[in-house]
Amino acid sequence: MDQPLSLKLASLTLISQHKFELILSACGNELVLIIDPTLIKPLERICGVTWLRQHGVTKICKIDPQFDPTGNVTRAYLIPSCLIKYKCVLDQISSVLSQNTSLSQANCFHIIIVPKIISTYDSILESRGLYDVVKLHSFSWELFSLDEQLLSLELPFLYKQVFVEKNQSLLSSIAMSLWSMFHVTGRPKCILSLGNMSSSVLDILEVYKESYERDFVNTTGSPDIGTLIIIDRDQDYASSLLTPAIYSGLLSEIFNINCGHLDLNVKQTKIKKGQMNFKTDEEKSEKNAVITLDSSIDNLYGEIKHRHFSEVLSVLSSKAKLLKNEDIKALGIQEIKNFVTTKLQQVVLFKQNLVNHVLACETIIAEMNNKFENITQVESEMLNNRNKKANFTFVDDHFGTDIHIYNSLRLMCLLSLTQGLSYDEYNLLISKYLLAFGYKFLYIFNNLINAGLLVQPSSPKLSLNISNLSNLSDRLPKWQNSFQTTATKLKQLPQTEVGNSAGYVFNGSYVPLITVMCNALLSSDSLQEVLNKLSPLNNLKVGGTIMDQLKSGMETINEKLSNVSLQDFELGSKDAKAVMKLLKNDSKINGAFNIKHKTVLVFVIGGVTYAEIAACDVVQTATGSKIYIASDSVSSGSDIIAANI
Amino acid sequence: MDDDDYWNTSETKQKAFSFDDDVLSPQEILAISQKPYSGQTEDTPFSSTIVNSSKRNLIPLNSLISPKVLDLIVLAQSGKDLKEKIPVQLDTTTATLKRLILGRSCFIHIHRSLKRKTELLDGALAIGDGNAILAVVLFLIQTLNKKLVHELLSSRTVALNHYISYLQSERKITELTDLLTMLGRSPEAAMYQYQHIVKTQGNSVDGLQRKLNNLLSNNFNQPGIDSHSTKMLSDYIKLLEWQTCANKTELNNRSALDCLAYTCRSHWHEGAGKTMSPLTLCQRQQITPLQYDWVVLNVHANSGKWDVVESLFTTKDWLGRTIASFHIPIEALLSKLSELQAPKYLMTNFINKIQNSDKRLKLAHKYKIHSVVIESHMKQKDRSALTNYKMTLSPQSEEYILAENTLRDPSIKWRN
Repeated sequence: MDQPLSLKLASLTLISQHKFELILSACGNELVLIIDPTLIKPLERICGVTWLRQHGVTKICKIDPQFDPTGNVTRAYLIPSCLIKYKCVLDQISSVLSQNTSLSQANCFHIIIVPKIISTYDSILESRGLYDVVKLHSFSWELFSLDEQLLSLELPFLYKQVFVEKNQSLLSSIAMSLWSMFHVTGRPKCILSLGNMSSSVLDILEVYKESYERDFVNTTGSPDIGTLIIIDRDQDYASSLLTPAIYSGLLSEIFNINCGHLDLNVKQTKIKKGQMNFKTDEEKSEKNAVITLDSSIDNLYGEIKHRHFSEVLSVLSSKAKLLKNEDIKALGIQEIKNFVTTKLQQVVLFKQNLVNHVLACETIIAEMNNKFENITQVESEMLNNRNKKANFTFVDDHFGTDIHIYNSLRLMCLLSLTQGLSYDEYNLLISKYLLAFGYKFLYIFNNLINAGLLVQPSSPKLSLNISNLSNLSDRLPKWQNSFQTTATKLKQLPQTEVGNSAGYVFNGSYVPLITVMCNALLSSDSLQEVLNKLSPLNNLKVGGTIMDQLKSGMETINEKLSNVSLQDFELGSKDAKAVMKLLKNDSKINGAFNIKHKTVLVFVIGGVTYAEIAACDVVQTATGSKIYIASDSVSSGSDIIAANI
Repeated sequence: MDDDDYWNTSETKQKAFSFDDDVLSPQEILAISQKPYSGQTEDTPFSSTIVNSSKRNLIPLNSLISPKVLDLIVLAQSGKDLKEKIPVQLDTTTATLKRLILGRSCFIHIHRSLKRKTELLDGALAIGDGNAILAVVLFLIQTLNKKLVHELLSSRTVALNHYISYLQSERKITELTDLLTMLGRSPEAAMYQYQHIVKTQGNSVDGLQRKLNNLLSNNFNQPGIDSHSTKMLSDYIKLLEWQTCANKTELNNRSALDCLAYTCRSHWHEGAGKTMSPLTLCQRQQITPLQYDWVVLNVHANSGKWDVVESLFTTKDWLGRTIASFHIPIEALLSKLSELQAPKYLMTNFINKIQNSDKRLKLAHKYKIHSVVIESHMKQKDRSALTNYKMTLSPQSEEYILAENTLRDPSIKWRN
C-alpha cells in the first residue's frame, strides 16, 4: 500500500471507471451513448472509445434535439445535473415515444446524471408519465488528476448553482468525493473549514461516514494527507477578480480551457469574444491546436506554468537556443541511429510544445501588452484603498471604451468590494454596461449582489435624513473598510517587494487567502498557534480525527439531530474560537495535537484559480511540504462573472 | 513609495512586459522550431488518444482499495440500501433526514404534525444538504397551507433561497412573484420577472415591448423599486420602439451601441431628427459622448475612413487653430488606433497634442513614433538619450538620418 500519494490520486480514475462500468451494465448489452458535449473531455479521462465498445456501447453521439437513433435501440443519455438539460432530454424521449409507443415497455431509456440525481428529478419524471419508462442513474465520478498536485471534479456548473442560485444540492457530491478519496488516502488528522458551504460539506461527510462506517475497516497506518483545508469561493473573491501575472493564469484569461485541455485559438480569444464587435465580417472558426496543461506530459509547461509572465519568453528562448545547437551538431551514422530510435520522438514532441507555448505567449502579449500595466496598477491601488477617485475614473473610462462583457464587471466588483461605490457611481457604470451589451442584462447586477460580488449602495432617497452626516464623513480621513482590515491582519497585502513572496502571482499586490492559511498551518508548531494566526477569520471551523478526542461522551448524529438548534449545530467540525478556549484550558489535549504533517490538501468550493495554485507552490517550496489543490473546477475571474449572466 | 517610483524600481520594471535584448523574439523561436501546428483532423466527438491510462501505470483497483470498500463506494453512488437489511427505525426525523441526504427513498409523508415538519426542516438546514432542504420544503408546500409555509420560510433564509431557486428554474414565475410579494420583497419579484421575460422572449421586439410595458406599469412603478432600474427599463422600451421603426431584423434586441454602430456605418450623413441618424439615436438613448466617440472611431477606422476619424477628434477654435478634443483617454485612443493600424501621420498628430512632455515621450516610444521621440529629446537637449535611441533604429532609415542630423545640428546646445 506504500505507493506515492500522487499515484494513488491519479488512480482514483479507475474507481470512476468501475462505477461507470456498473452503470453501463445496468443499462443493457447494446446501447447508444448520447452525450452532452461538455462531458466529453472528462469522460475521455475515464475511458476510451475501445473501452466503451467493450462495454456494450455500439455508438457514441452528441446530444442533438434533431437526432434520434431510430429503431429499437437502448439509449443512454449522459448529462450534467442541470434541470434545463434534463428536461430537454425528457422532451426528446417523449417525442420518440409518441411515434413509437411500444418502446415504453422495452426498458430502453436511461439517463445518467453527473454527479447525481437531484431530489426533484424523480417527481418531474413521474409528472410526465415517464416513471418506470425512463431509468435514472447517478454517476459521481471521482476527482480527476489534471496536473501534478492538481485535482478537479470538473463540475464547472457548481459555482453558479451554489453561489448565484443559492442551491446547495450539489454539496453532497463534494462530500461524497472526499469520502471516497479518504478510503484511499486515510482520513486527515485535522480539517480547517472556512465558510458555510464548507462546513455543510463536513456535516454531510459525517453522515456518509456514520451510515457506512460499519464496513469501513481502514486507517491502521498514518493518513497520507495530514490536513485538509476546505474553503468557500466567496471567502476570497479577490483572488478570482484580480488579473493574474503568471503564465498559467494568463492562459486562462485568454484561452478556453476544458478539463485541462487548452484550445489554442489565437484569433478568437476570450478577450476578443467579450468585446463589442465592430467588424461586419464574421471570422470562421478553425480547428485549433490543443495544449494539455499537464506537467507530466509537457515538461516545458511544468517549467513555466508558475512563472511571472515577464520571464516566460526568456525561458522559451533559451530552450530554443538549445534545440538550435542540437541541430547543428554533426552526428555519425551510429549516433544518428541512436538519436532516431531513442530521442527523435521526444525532440519532435518538445518542438511541438515549444511552438504552441510561443504562440500562446504571442497572443498574451498582443492582448495584454497595452493594458496589463495599467490594470494591475489600479487593482493594487484598490486593494490598498488608495486614490479612490482615480480608480473610479479608470473603471468608468474602461466602461466607456474597451468594455468587456465579463472583465469589466470584474473591475467593478473589485472596486465595490475593496473601496465601495456610491449610488451615482454604481448607476453610471450600470448605464454604460447596458448601453454596450443591452438593457436585457439589468438582472445581472442583482445576481452579482446575491453572489456577494457586488455591494449595493443605498439609494440617496432612503438616506436623505443622514445626508449631512455622510457629507461629513467624506471629509474625515477614510477608515479602512472591512476588506483591508482583514487582509492587513492576515498579511495579504505585501507592503514591500519581497523577493519570494507568494504575492508575485498578482504582480506583488495580493497574497491569496488559501496561501495564507497553508502558510499558517505549515509554519506553526501547534494547533493553537495556527488558530491564533488565523483568528481574524470569522467563520473558521476545525474538524478531523483529532477532534474525535474532543467529542464529549460520544454523541451520535442521532442525538445531535434530535435536539437541533440552528445557531450552534456542529457535526463535522467545531467552531475555531471554541476550540481555542478548549486548547487554552487543557494543555494535555494541545500536546496531543501534532499537526506537523507536511502534506496538505486544499479544497476550494466554487472553483480555484491558477494564481492561487502558483501562490501555494511558493509556500510549499519555502516550508518543504506538499500542497495538493482540489476543487470542483479550475476557473478564471471571467468564469465567475459569466456564471452570473 | 509614490506611484512613479513604484513603476520605475528595477524589480517592477522587470516584472512589466519588457524583455531584455538577449531574448529571441517569438518569430525567431518559431523559426528554430517549426511551422505552427495545424490542429487535429479528427472529427469524431471522442478523440481516440486516451490521456490517462496510457500515460502512466496506475495502481490496479484491487490494490488501491479493498473490494468490500469499493462495493460500498458504488452503493453510496446509487443511493440504494445496504444489502443486508439492518432493522432501523424508519419513522424518526433523523432517519428520514439521513435517508434524504444519502439519496435513498423514504417515507417523508409519515411526518404529519407541524412540530415534526418543523424539526425536519430545521434538521435539513442544520446539515445544509440542498437536496434534503428542497425535498422537505416541497413536502411542506404539499401538506401545509400557504400561510404556514410562508411563516416557516420567512424566518429561514436558506430554505427560502432553495424554494426561490426551484421556482425560478421551474419557471413558475407567478408563484414566485406571489411568494416574494407576500414576504414584502416585491422589488426582487419585479427583477425576477424581468429576467424571466428577457430569457424567454428571445429577440421578438413585439413580444418584448408588450411584456415589458406591462411590467413597467404593474411592477416597476411601486414604492421600493430603485428609480434607476425603472429608468433602465423605460430606456429599454424606448430602444425597442426605435428598433420597430428601423425595421431591420439584424438589429432586433441588439444593444444601443450595436444599433449606433449600424447607423454610423449605413446612415452617417443622415441629419439630426431623422430616425436613422446616429445623432437621433444618441439623444434618445442618452449615449455618453465617450461611448459615442468610441463607436464612431471603431466603425470608421474599421472601414479605413481615417479622415472621418481625424475630423472627429479635432475641432477648430475661434482663431482657426485646430485643437484636439478627446473624450477618449489618450492612452486608450492610441492603443486602439495602433491595433487598427492607423496611418503614421494620424498617430503623430495625436501624440503631438499631448501637453505633458514626459507622457508624450513615453507614448511615442511605445508606439515607435520616431519623429516625436527625436524631437522630444532635442527639446530636452538630451544628447545621450538621443544617441542611445539612434542605436535602436535601423541604419540608413529615414528616422536614423533624422536622428543623426539632429545630433549634428550646431544650433542645439546639448546639456550632456
